[in-house]
Amino acid sequence: MAEFVSYEDILCSRCRVRMELARADFTYLGHNFHTEVMRCPKCGAVYIPEELAEGKIADAETALEDK
Amino acid sequence: MIRETRSVCPVCLANIPAVLDQRPDGSVVMTKTCPQHGTWETTVWRGRLPFSRWISGTAPLAGSEGLHCPEACGLCSEHVQGSCCVVLEVTERCNLRCRFCFADAGKNSEPPLTELLDAVQNIAHTASRPMLQLSGGEPTLRNDLPDLIRAAREAGIPYVQVNTNGIRLAQEPDLAQALADAGLNFVFLQFDGTDDRIYRTLRGRSMLEIKEKAIANSGAAGLGVTLVPTVVPGVNLRILGDIVKYAADRSPVVRGVHFQPVSYFGRVPENGPVSPEHCTMDELLASLCEQTGLVFTDFVPSRCDHPLCGFHGSFIAEKGLLIPLTHGNAAPRTMITAGENREFVAKHWLRQNTELKAENASVHTPEQYTAASCRAVNHPLRLPMENSDVTDMDVFLRKVRSQSFTVSCMPFQDAMNLDAERLRNCSLHVYRKGKLVPLCAEYLTPVDPAGRKEEQQ
Repeated sequence: MAEFVSYEDILCSRCRVRMELARADFTYLGHNFHTEVMRCPKCGAVYIPEELAEGKIADAETALEDK
Repeated sequence: MIRETRSVCPVCLANIPAVLDQRPDGSVVMTKTCPQHGTWETTVWRGRLPFSRWISGTAPLAGSEGLHCPEACGLCSEHVQGSCCVVLEVTERCNLRCRFCFADAGKNSEPPLTELLDAVQNIAHTASRPMLQLSGGEPTLRNDLPDLIRAAREAGIPYVQVNTNGIRLAQEPDLAQALADAGLNFVFLQFDGTDDRIYRTLRGRSMLEIKEKAIANSGAAGLGVTLVPTVVPGVNLRILGDIVKYAADRSPVVRGVHFQPVSYFGRVPENGPVSPEHCTMDELLASLCEQTGLVFTDFVPSRCDHPLCGFHGSFIAEKGLLIPLTHGNAAPRTMITAGENREFVAKHWLRQNTELKAENASVHTPEQYTAASCRAVNHPLRLPMENSDVTDMDVFLRKVRSQSFTVSCMPFQDAMNLDAERLRNCSLHVYRKGKLVPLCAEYLTPVDPAGRKEEQQ
């Protein structure tokens, strides 16, 4: 059984500090979007979990693609 | 000269060579000569948009191609596109007598259900698994229509739409529910304007109240509606914005507007105030943009059919305004298959969320659809995404599922402007005795030379 990991527990692999929710901007086919992702408050690196990349972001791309 | 192609003599329908020439004003004229019936010219593009850019990426006919169009249609080895949508005429009966009717409906015959069930089985086994459009005549005049729809879905046809004038849907509220229960996916509703004078001109009677009730009853049954105006110069070309505004106000029940510029085939007026001129697609698109504030780059040419056979734009309808999603400059034009196009259309017109049924039912009542409330509006409809709340990805995903809206156009060809290069890309086919025939070839009708001398040189 997979162990549940809360986003709040995610540490920046480089800085070893707890990541925080922050707004991230995306651009696709000329449209700008924003959503919340985990970001390192120290170095600014963002963590995009698989379910976001293959879920919401992929859904948004599909909706914008012209066939 | 831009292109050489093949066309037909408008009188005898013989296959003859044709050329497309661009004039100094940017317009494009098709010229062709029949040894027996003379030289004919017709404007196929009015120069409101750059023609060459619009058709870029489309291969011209080779010299040996198109020589048998359209008499060999059905489909031949030169045809380059599969069936996206197959039209099945289920009756020749009709409860209207329209001045324009590509099927020249109004006769009394109709095939028995058993024949239609066989047709449905054949269509279901077409390689591209097309969507099915039940047409006529007026298909809702068949009381066994739910049986046919149910059989089509059970045979594996993924989407079924009905092409209707809406009279029975309006008069019999239970009909929409019966069709939905049988598996109908979309209603393609003839809708020519928001003013009854237009219906009296084109359809011979007032119809706006009927349209309003048909939309409301379809929505109550959970059926999405696409409005389908026949655009006739001098009648409703100047009120395209009113139609789009009317449709956007009725999202999510209304999923879009599909403009069909008038073509001269089937039944057309012999005499009367209606102009015999074509409404070219660039003229329609320019008029649409002028009347709505939408811009050319909100639309792209068809990528399934020939670029002269259609355009479309995707939007989110938001409180009567349209948030454009299509970016006309975003990517080069590449062709897609009929199956990909079918799924694209379904993605925009179908709602997976069954809760929408309740939402649809509560949005509007027929009483709210008064003619006075929607007449003569010419609103700017364009709401850039950055000025809305859909830049939030969660909001965007929610609204693109529930408030998706399309504005599209499909200009049919007739004996004056038939172009074999366009015809061989056609993905809209009529089922006829076991064959699939491009719609414009199936309904091709010769002109009466006595009535069309103004276009003969």
